[in-house]
Amino acid sequence: MGARGLKRKVHESNEGEGSVWQSQLQSVLDISWDKFQRDQALVEPSLLRSVLINNTLRQVQSEVRTSLSGISGPRKLQAPPRVLPELRSQRECTPAGLGASICSLGLENMEDDFMAWSTDEDFSLSSAISAILKNLDAALDGGPSVPQRSALASVENIPGDGRYRQSLTFSHKTESCRTSEGGAPASMSGFLQDATIDDLLLDIDTSVFNGEVNSFGSGTFSFPADELVRYLPSLSSSPSAPSSSGSREMHELEHIMDILVRT
Amino acid sequence: MGMCVLDSAESVFCRADIISTVEFNYSGELLATGDKGGRVVIFQREQESKNRPLSRGEYNVYSTFQSHEPEFDYLKSLEIEEKINKIRWLPQQNAAHFLLSTNDKTIKLWKISERDKRAEGYNLKDEDGRLRDPFRITTLRVPVLMPMDLMVEASPRRIFANAHTYHINSISVNSDHETYLSADDLRINLWHLEITDRSFNIVDIKPANMEELTEVITAAECHPHQCNVFVYSSSKGTIRLCDMRAAALCDRHSKFFEEPEDPSSRSFFSEIISSISDVKFSHSGRYMMTRDYLSVKVWDLNMENRPVETYQVHEYLRSKLCSLYENDCIFDKFECCWNGSDSAIMTGSYNNFFRMFDRNTRRDITLEASRENSKPRAMLKPRKVCTGGKRKKDEISVDSLDFNKKILHTAWHPKENVIAVAATNNLYIFQDKIN
Repeated sequence: MGARGLKRKVHESNEGEGSVWQSQLQSVLDISWDKFQRDQALVEPSLLRSVLINNTLRQVQSEVRTSLSGISGPRKLQAPPRVLPELRSQRECTPAGLGASICSLGLENMEDDFMAWSTDEDFSLSSAISAILKNLDAALDGGPSVPQRSALASVENIPGDGRYRQSLTFSHKTESCRTSEGGAPASMSGFLQDATIDDLLLDIDTSVFNGEVNSFGSGTFSFPADELVRYLPSLSSSPSAPSSSGSREMHELEHIMDILVRT
Repeated sequence: MGMCVLDSAESVFCRADIISTVEFNYSGELLATGDKGGRVVIFQREQESKNRPLSRGEYNVYSTFQSHEPEFDYLKSLEIEEKINKIRWLPQQNAAHFLLSTNDKTIKLWKISERDKRAEGYNLKDEDGRLRDPFRITTLRVPVLMPMDLMVEASPRRIFANAHTYHINSISVNSDHETYLSADDLRINLWHLEITDRSFNIVDIKPANMEELTEVITAAECHPHQCNVFVYSSSKGTIRLCDMRAAALCDRHSKFFEEPEDPSSRSFFSEIISSISDVKFSHSGRYMMTRDYLSVKVWDLNMENRPVETYQVHEYLRSKLCSLYENDCIFDKFECCWNGSDSAIMTGSYNNFFRMFDRNTRRDITLEASRENSKPRAMLKPRKVCTGGKRKKDEISVDSLDFNKKILHTAWHPKENVIAVAATNNLYIFQDKIN
């Protein structure tokens, strides 16, 4: 009699272990993601902290990949994609380039069936991580390879002339592209020659995005594809002389468009 | 010398700002502290005298000055903190004392000098400084040096700026006493103390593509005797020893110290807790010590594949790493220090606890820096953290630890058993009990 009301539990022990690991993975991911977002909102996140958090996120990502490759059957993707409510919060949405906005589109339900989001999550995580780190450096990647440091060459202290450098910030990549291509006033190009490109690259970071992104004015950052496209045409109207950076920008933006189309 | 039991002198100094660095000078006569507000306070040890036998070697405030002010970086539109990250003394060469102090971006060389005489009897001006009427001057006199109240002046002699894009985490004076190095997250520069407008970049780990960045520099130090050797530690728990004679650019190390990971203790936090927060050479120069989140390791410079000694600082936190990750405590950077003879090491922990390890006897002790325990001449009672099971009377359980009370900065007198412990905005100075 008693057996009739007893629920049979299949793979009980496995599920027990798996769920412990799963919940740990879940909390690490949640905490890491939360920290990553908060840090992006900071004007100047600590590099050590960012690197450690990014590495943890990468580790979570690879754990998910390994577990996915070992999983088969009913535990595969089930839940439909759903944007995380907290990621929709516009003020928080980080200006870490367009990569972060892709995360908001691509990330799915993380609460219960986190396996479900893994493939898209992988991609959006890695693009988010890439975007963060890339934006720690500059997109003013205007030249060929970075000039070699010569032995015993002392690094001249660059005079901190904020005026010139201010205008070299990039509201988004296309504008900076134009600036470096030659729309720059004479004084600025002179400055570019004097300072090594490498030194310029060092000093630009995501803080400029804060101001610029807000200046776009829109409240929501759900980034529907058509809004994004609005910012893209400026590329096509740019001068026809494609520098290496220009073509690179194009390639990246095409890449982003592909992602949007796919989702 | 056995493990010392300490009593406290009347040395608890409270200040408005959080202390961010503590350093004895080479003789131990002076103790410098830097704080979050950019101020440096220097303490001087009282000379022992027969008249005041009880004041044996107390530290009193000697000089206070504002080293760094908040600055504004116009390029990034952000403020550069004035917090003093490190202070390092120069060896004394004349009556004045020199120290280097640094914030995130700028290093300054300060001269601290005493003035205890004043010239009196000027011809052209009065004692209060007013110009004398030339027609009233009828005789010529020679100004005389008169004693005055001791005045300690601090003046900035050099400012080494604009050489670091990332935040400076270490400075270290070379044994040649002419150069020093400064390290930020990705680069290490070598300076000459006389030259401020240029520095040599000797290590650069910035990848061409920042997306590939997975490791940063966390600390660096010059070898105490070999002026061509320095080490730097990383966020992945590795230490690289570099020889400046081998190449002008020390991107390739001479020695690479890393302990193989224990696969059984691997977790999501393994990398974070392996990140080295401090590296210090022993006074002998034969060993170096590294501090990671849970332990202190002593390395023999001749053995790269593992440390020769490992000391657990607060292993009971290993099961709490997830919470410590959540509340950011896992990113706390604890420092460590050697005693003068390299026989003991000290480092801080939470709840205002600090730990001392005797390398010879392998005994360790946990002490607490708190007002209640620091009555003058009081003996410090050893503390113990209960890790599970029944909590004994004087023990404190892990869950009762106050993680806001962290001891990140400690310093040990170069010759005697006197230690300085910074607990948030209080500085404690403890001395060995001598019967």
